[in-house]
Amino acid sequence: MLVSPSCSVSWRFGIPRPLQQLFDYFPLRALDPNALPERSQCLTSSDLPTLYVFSTESDARLGLPSFNPGCLKWQTLLRLSSLPFRILPSTNHASPTGALPFLLPPRTTSTSTSSPPPVPASQLLAYAQQHSPSTKDNSNKIDLDPDLGPRAQAYLSLVTLSLRNAWLCALYLDPSHADLLARLYARPASSSRAVQAALLAQLRAAAAEQIVTSTGGMVVTTSAAAGGVDEESVYREAREAMEALAGMVGESGTGWVFGEARPGVFDAGLFSYTHLMMEFMGEGLGRMVSESGKGELARHRGRMLEAAWPGWDGKRPTE
Amino acid sequence: MAAALGFGGSNAPDKPNPPSAAHSAHHGPAHVLDEHRLTPASVSSLEVHGATNTRRSLLDHVFQPVVEDLAPGGTTLGQVLDRVALATKKLARFDIFKEEGFGVFLSEAPRTESAPPTDRTELDISIRVKEKSRLVFSAGTDFGNAEGSAYTNAVARNIFGGAETLSVNASTGTRTRSAYNATFSTPINGNPDLRLAVEALRSETQKPWASHDEQLTGGNLRLAWLSENDDSHTLSYSSVWRQLTGLSATASPTVRADAGDSLKSSVTHTFTRDRRDNPMLPQSGYLLRTVSELAGWGLLQGDVSFAKTEVEASGALPVALPGRTAKSGISVGAGLRLGVLYPLPSGFALTGPAQPSRINDRFQLGGPLGVRGFKLGGLGPHDGADSVGGDVFAAGSVNALLPLPRVGADSPLRLQLFANTGRLVALNRKSPKGNESREGLAMGSATVFRGVTSAINELTNGPPSLAAGVGLVYAHPVARFELNFSLPLVLRRGEEGRKGLQVGVGISFL
Repeated sequence: MLVSPSCSVSWRFGIPRPLQQLFDYFPLRALDPNALPERSQCLTSSDLPTLYVFSTESDARLGLPSFNPGCLKWQTLLRLSSLPFRILPSTNHASPTGALPFLLPPRTTSTSTSSPPPVPASQLLAYAQQHSPSTKDNSNKIDLDPDLGPRAQAYLSLVTLSLRNAWLCALYLDPSHADLLARLYARPASSSRAVQAALLAQLRAAAAEQIVTSTGGMVVTTSAAAGGVDEESVYREAREAMEALAGMVGESGTGWVFGEARPGVFDAGLFSYTHLMMEFMGEGLGRMVSESGKGELARHRGRMLEAAWPGWDGKRPTE
Repeated sequence: MAAALGFGGSNAPDKPNPPSAAHSAHHGPAHVLDEHRLTPASVSSLEVHGATNTRRSLLDHVFQPVVEDLAPGGTTLGQVLDRVALATKKLARFDIFKEEGFGVFLSEAPRTESAPPTDRTELDISIRVKEKSRLVFSAGTDFGNAEGSAYTNAVARNIFGGAETLSVNASTGTRTRSAYNATFSTPINGNPDLRLAVEALRSETQKPWASHDEQLTGGNLRLAWLSENDDSHTLSYSSVWRQLTGLSATASPTVRADAGDSLKSSVTHTFTRDRRDNPMLPQSGYLLRTVSELAGWGLLQGDVSFAKTEVEASGALPVALPGRTAKSGISVGAGLRLGVLYPLPSGFALTGPAQPSRINDRFQLGGPLGVRGFKLGGLGPHDGADSVGGDVFAAGSVNALLPLPRVGADSPLRLQLFANTGRLVALNRKSPKGNESREGLAMGSATVFRGVTSAINELTNGPPSLAAGVGLVYAHPVARFELNFSLPLVLRRGEEGRKGLQVGVGISFL
């Protein structure tokens, strides 16, 4: 419709008094609101806050770990906080920031007229601390803004650059994981082969670009395979990073990074890669993780699983 | 009959009564023919001039009935003329010849010396046509339904000489961020009223009433035909990848839950019977349209599965002023639209789990040319500010059109008094809140049936949302413009009525 908003605004302001009085009489009757559609009621009427992540329907029902490292990190942190929440499978299109995860608080009233704004990943912990039932109890409190020192920053970049690039390279560019990639990201989006193929091509191109830009073009090869990324140097960097991280975890007396008493943001970030590599890439990156630091990273992953998913046997339901 | 005589002029199909041979015989130089219509005559030769780029086989198809001697006792002159008129009209409908370029010339064929004398007239028929230019580029502005746009368009006509058309179009508009499509269309079996078209399209459209953009990428295959009595039918298969993206910061949970990809693979039949005197300002006649769509079921596959049907009927009656014979320009009209979306199980199953509808498949209702007095998508279920659509709807309107004083009945300007009403309801299970027994989204077929039935019953639960008003209608040949002042009388909370002025531009209206 060609009703320009500016037009309606100027009319609003210019309404003469008698007309405004007339408008106030209408509508003559306002009835109860229409009920929301089934899909909406089913997906958005939970009493719990909902974390939207990459997942499958069956995994989401059980609250199992997301298969996306970015989502898994925040899902793990939320589980470590005492905030009860549920997860729903979603896509980046749904997120206010353009990337998952994000959280939707439960609707405040039973009516459908209003809903609180979404909480982006960066504000998740603040939300969790405000809304946790056990806010008084500080035992579960996670240091929100761990003011990382320069040493910690250096270690963090090992996770956010080296491990991430290795994960991207293995999952998106390595043809031996093509089926895994399709199973995780393409098939849940659409049952159509053509749509899946288009999405996979987009994903691969984006992953290759991310690796190249994040390393400042250090890993570019002239070969057309793997999107022009030099896989060998990416994996070599990852191995070195894992050894360094394993050493750092090993030095810590508590089993958590930097000798903290409880697992924190850094642990969750590290776990999100080591866990997924071990679960989905047993032969390649998974072995690299379990071998680094004589199994130090694998033990850290085990402790994290025990802390965030106590009692889970590590098996996912088959779809 | 020695004199050659021509009856040229327009044979365009859009003229209400193209001059038939019989008709034109009453005046002009052809009135001589009147007495000779029963004279036995047959076609000795038929020539078509000017169709340089048109395939012979296409012309053969069209003129076959003229040359064929079907009548047992031979043909009369009248019959030959009728057939020629029919064939030229058919030729005009291919849209490859200029309207004003048609000319038909008849002359008596010279008789060979050896031929036995006969009272049968042998005719030489010569038909002159002018081909339209084969390549046309155009750019301009356009009014579609509820939006204005600017476009560039390239049309290649008569590509292979068989009246095939390739049209490539790019446009951007007030709601359409960008749209590209290419359509190849060809008549089947030399019949201009039976066309097959293949289209590829890609577009990105803003849906401000539900805080998102929708990107479409896909194609369709259409078979369109006109029946004997001018009813139009279209049967199409389409496969479209829809991407719901670009959500605004305030998008509701419902829209966020539906964001992402889905493929719709569907078969649609559209039937239109348009008997209105003027499609932009109907003063008499009626319009009947049905749209039936089957998506995802059986071989169709895809991500969504449903049957969807929509019926529209509208009509107008002229009102004569007592004591006046001249056209008063006053008319009353009414319209009714109904629609149902029924979720289906995928595959060939008739019973089994079915997915509830998504926002891009559900109906939207309300707007300045639909249910006036409501914002676009202003009726039906709302999640916050977002109109999330419904699975069942009914809408109706009554209006009276009055000519303006001093402007007169022949102008395209009218004063309009209207009242319109609508109800848009979503299908849901109505389970008490907090009942977590539902495992996942899918609904059993019994649940779907109960849901649809209760949604239909809900249509008549309480008075429908209603608005009334008065306004001006201007019927431009391209689109209808309306400026209305309206007030909502009844609405549901959450529905967005519009008090005061509302501007509407579009080609279809209730």
